[in-house]
Amino acid sequence: MDEILVLAEHRQGELRDITFEMLFAANTLGKENDLATAALLLGHETSGLSGKLKGACDRVLVMEDPELAHYNADQYLMALETAIKDRKPLLTLIGHTAIGMDLAPAMAARLSLPLVTDCVDLSLEEGRLGVLRQIYGGKINAQLAMKPSDHYLISLRTGAFDAEVEQGKSGDVETIPAPAWTNLRGRQFLGYVEAELEDVDIAAADILVSIGRGIGKPENIPLAQEFADAIGATLSCSRPVADEEWLPKSRQVGTSGKTVRPKVYIALGISGAYQHQAGMKNADTIIAVNKDPMAPIFAIAHYGIVDDLAQVLPVLTEHFAKK
Amino acid sequence: MNIVVCVKQVPEVTDAELEINKEGAEILKEDLEFDINEWDNYAVEEAVRIKEAHHGKVTVVTLGDEDCADVLRTALAMGADEAIRIDEQGFEFSDAAGIAQGLYRAVRDVPFDLLLTGAQGSDDGWAQVGLTLAELLGIPYASLVVGVEIGEGTITVHRELESNTQEKVDMPLPAALTIQTGINNPRYVSIMGIQKVRRIEIKETDSEELGLSEAEIGSQGSRVDSQKLSLPPVGEGADILTGSLDEICEKTAQIIRDKGGVM
Amino acid sequence: MDFALSKEQRDIVRAARKFASGEFPDRALEFDRDETFDLDLWRRACELGFAGVFIDQAYNGAGMGYLEHCLITEEFWAADPGIGQAIISCTFGSELLLLFGSEDQKQLILPQLVAGKAMIATAITEPDAGSDVTMVATAAVRHGDEWVINGSKMFTTNGSLATYILFFCRTDPHNPSRHARHSFFLVPTDTPGFKSKKIHGKMGIRASDTAEISLSNVRVPLTNLVGEEGAGFHQLMAFFDRTRLHICAQAVGLARAALEESIRHTKERSQFGAPLASFQVTQFKIAEMATRIRAAKNLYYEAASSVDQGTIDPALIAMAKWFSAEVALQCADEAVQMHGGYGYIDEYKVNRLYRAAKLLEIYEGTKEMEKTIIARSLLG
Ligand SMILES: Cc1cc2nc3c(=O)[nH]c(=O)nc-3n(C[C@H](O)[C@H](O)[C@H](O)COP(=O)(O)OP(=O)(O)OC[C@H]3O[C@@H](n4cnc5c(N)ncnc54)[C@H](O)[C@@H]3O)c2cc1C
Ligand SMILES: Cc1cc2nc3c(=O)[nH]c(=O)nc-3n(C[C@H](O)[C@H](O)[C@H](O)COP(=O)(O)OP(=O)(O)OC[C@H]3O[C@@H](n4cnc5c(N)ncnc54)[C@H](O)[C@@H]3O)c2cc1C
Ligand SMILES: Cc1cc2nc3c(=O)[nH]c(=O)nc-3n(C[C@H](O)[C@H](O)[C@H](O)COP(=O)(O)OP(=O)(O)OC[C@H]3O[C@@H](n4cnc5c(N)ncnc54)[C@H](O)[C@@H]3O)c2cc1C
Repeated sequence: MDEILVLAEHRQGELRDITFEMLFAANTLGKENDLATAALLLGHETSGLSGKLKGACDRVLVMEDPELAHYNADQYLMALETAIKDRKPLLTLIGHTAIGMDLAPAMAARLSLPLVTDCVDLSLEEGRLGVLRQIYGGKINAQLAMKPSDHYLISLRTGAFDAEVEQGKSGDVETIPAPAWTNLRGRQFLGYVEAELEDVDIAAADILVSIGRGIGKPENIPLAQEFADAIGATLSCSRPVADEEWLPKSRQVGTSGKTVRPKVYIALGISGAYQHQAGMKNADTIIAVNKDPMAPIFAIAHYGIVDDLAQVLPVLTEHFAKK
Repeated sequence: MNIVVCVKQVPEVTDAELEINKEGAEILKEDLEFDINEWDNYAVEEAVRIKEAHHGKVTVVTLGDEDCADVLRTALAMGADEAIRIDEQGFEFSDAAGIAQGLYRAVRDVPFDLLLTGAQGSDDGWAQVGLTLAELLGIPYASLVVGVEIGEGTITVHRELESNTQEKVDMPLPAALTIQTGINNPRYVSIMGIQKVRRIEIKETDSEELGLSEAEIGSQGSRVDSQKLSLPPVGEGADILTGSLDEICEKTAQIIRDKGGVM
Repeated sequence: MDFALSKEQRDIVRAARKFASGEFPDRALEFDRDETFDLDLWRRACELGFAGVFIDQAYNGAGMGYLEHCLITEEFWAADPGIGQAIISCTFGSELLLLFGSEDQKQLILPQLVAGKAMIATAITEPDAGSDVTMVATAAVRHGDEWVINGSKMFTTNGSLATYILFFCRTDPHNPSRHARHSFFLVPTDTPGFKSKKIHGKMGIRASDTAEISLSNVRVPLTNLVGEEGAGFHQLMAFFDRTRLHICAQAVGLARAALEESIRHTKERSQFGAPLASFQVTQFKIAEMATRIRAAKNLYYEAASSVDQGTIDPALIAMAKWFSAEVALQCADEAVQMHGGYGYIDEYKVNRLYRAAKLLEIYEGTKEMEKTIIARSLLG
């Protein structure tokens, strides 16, 4: 039986959500197309992790080696190459994450495999792969039909699939030997750097008022702050606002910032790029204010206001001030 | 320290209403403004800063039609020293691997210590070209770089990971980096920079000169068979509040009270 | 016939637009309300080489043409007329020095202007001499090896900020020709007897400094005469033939901004269940604005590039100035109209555009004076 190989992603002893999202995608596709699912766990002293994978796939392949203690492109490329050559899977899934983005393109080039990055959906028809991607910052959907191939490499967007994968399986755990580390290019992992001490923890807030590039200029931030104060909310932001240093990095929501799940998330002038969505789409209620009716944020918001935020905010604040 | 930077021109889409052509294969670009890819702009800035601190030369390379020379001139005006344009002809409908092939052939004979690209393009968002190039060149690399320190024959970089975390890695030179936004604050182009560009001739090359056959690039070389574009479905998603501004805000306030437990 | 800008000119446009749109919008409202400006913006623009690009390379300028200066002006004014003017006007007078100044004067002053170390201003208008410059009464009298100047000037742009001011003075009141009575003098503003007072309450371009000046026994050496004694009037006309081009660029930049704001607003704003842009009235307005702007632009490009090629046609320049200013006013007016009540509030950019526009029909020759020049070229 052909196989879908899923590269399990973990960091500092924890499996990351993307691993289960990929397994969810793999199992769904596997069921429809009669394909087995194998999780590939690369690491060192990972015994605790394989147990969590067993229930969600048909096979757990474990490669243990001190060289794999931390993610490093050099070793991961060799290890993954070994596994792919060994298993010859039809599909290999990698997360479109800081690891997957670092690994997939070089892997594809090395093995001359067709690669599609940042996919949000997958399908197989007569062995031919179809993928859905979102391009132009989420403004356009692109449905790609791939040319026939015996093997595809796919990176999946975080959050595109459910992480609550069914745990009905009981995959065998199989150890595979690590390769001789011969083709290394000298990249060394030196350590993790946590962001500086933060002023507030946006992840702990019940209500977030979040501003994006649409705020226009730092002088407008008080508008949002006043509103946040009026409703007892915390101020957060999209990446460009943090890049511009209009708010500290600790306030950034999204894949490279924080994941939040407040009761109410109010997105002001945020277009809704998936990296941002990934950090907030599980909020219980999302309200978006954006002057572009086509902004992708409206696709995941529960309530939308199509207007200039500078007009909306003072009026909204007023509604709470007067009570 | 010689540095090669790959840059590309992209349409500005944040404020634009996008339309798709009849065949559903491409967006209509006639009414769009074009500019350097945001990530590439940071990459050029980083290269110029490194050059200013450690001497050497910055070469910018693009693959695109004649109009794309604009981004090369922008990069030259920011401080790059040389530029190469690979003509787009033959590369139409290439996938990222095909583009990387073109760039690879053009840069492999340029002596460099560092190769920079943007982490991704704001158009197709493939996030592939930089690392594909690194692999073709057989050099170490790091993606999503938000900080760079140059050592003796080595480079130490900060890579951006998820959840507000970074990792520090080092590697010997030559190496390839893909640059993430926010790494620096890109400079404005100056008139002096523009004047400097007069003296620089942009080298032109094409797929033929680079020895690429039709089978390797373009739609033939691509692993993608076809691409169908569509606008994301509207109608689902948010309940758009209507009425006067005041009515809308009244409704919103009610929602915040109900859902957020605000008094 | 080639209507396209060169690659380099397009690069200049793009660079100026990036700088202006990156730096001006954040500060525009504050400067407009408070009648202030942050000189750091001017210094940064100078560092980037945007000031006085027409100044020869011998004086550290870019050695480009007036058209290039116009392109920068257009972008700056499109981003914000007040800030645009506050920066662009800092070389107002260098055109006269380039044409008629002595080598020493040019060497002393022009490099400082380019570097953002000094501003220059030009004072012609007086309380009793506006359109009719031959009535200028500020008197310069020769005493030994000095000129002694007395009088007062009105509406001098950068009068309270400039390090050097060119004064249009009467030197030969009894000359039978009204056009041979005046001369230009270069006065450093730290000269004893020089006083300036900022004028408050301007309708528009409130970030830009405008001042009243009084000169009381101001003494300057003979070498501070600019060009020939008695040639002031003709020098002034030649000067205007350059600087009026810049006004055209200001006008076209402003009109373009009005159009851009209108397009944005009418697409976003709905009334009667449809975006304003869907009404034919709106569509026609937008179409008319775009057409007028194109016409004004082509007219001034022609005027500016012929000056750069050495052909001075005062009537053509006057046509370009009058017409582009009128287009700017029309566009600003329609832009405010399309914004409804919002356009009447200063937080909206169109409000600033509207108030700035009127000036274009007044300074550096009122529209009536421009038409006089045009008519004279046709009727003799
Ligand atoms: C590896 C990687 C990691 C990333 N991580 C993150 C992350 O963690 N978090 C994150 O946010 N981004 C992240 N990004 C960036 C992401 O791709 C987008 O670029 C970013 O989210 C866009 O931010 P924005 O929505 O604020 O800005 P834009 O996309 O520029 O959108 C601004 C929006 O404001 C609207 N607007 C403008 N003016 C007004 C007004 N007056 N009133 C109302 N609306 C207005 C516009 O219509 C537009 O929709 C990451 C990118 C990469 C490659
Ligand atoms: C913000 C600002 C900045 C300025 N900067 C400078 C500067 O840097 N240096 C400087 O020297 N001046 C400057 N000026 C002055 C400007 O050039 C004059 O205001 C302009 O020349 C008009 O002169 P006036 O105000 O005296 O009006 P007047 O000459 O009194 O004109 C009033 C009206 O009468 C009309 N008129 C006059 N004569 C005739 C005629 N014969 N036939 C028909 N109509 C006629 C005019 O066209 C105008 O409509 C500035 C003005 C302003 C408002
Ligand atoms: C200082 C001031 C005082 C005011 N005082 C009061 C007051 O006391 N009470 C009060 O109720 N309001 C007041 N207003 C509001 C004023 O009446 C409105 O601004 C005005 O009715 C226009 O509405 P609007 O601003 O929403 O513009 P919009 O209705 O958005 O109109 C914008 C533009 O689109 C045009 N337009 C709209 N629909 C169409 C169409 N179908 N076909 C063609 N063109 C169209 C309009 O003519 C206008 O040019 C005041 C406004 C101001 C500035």
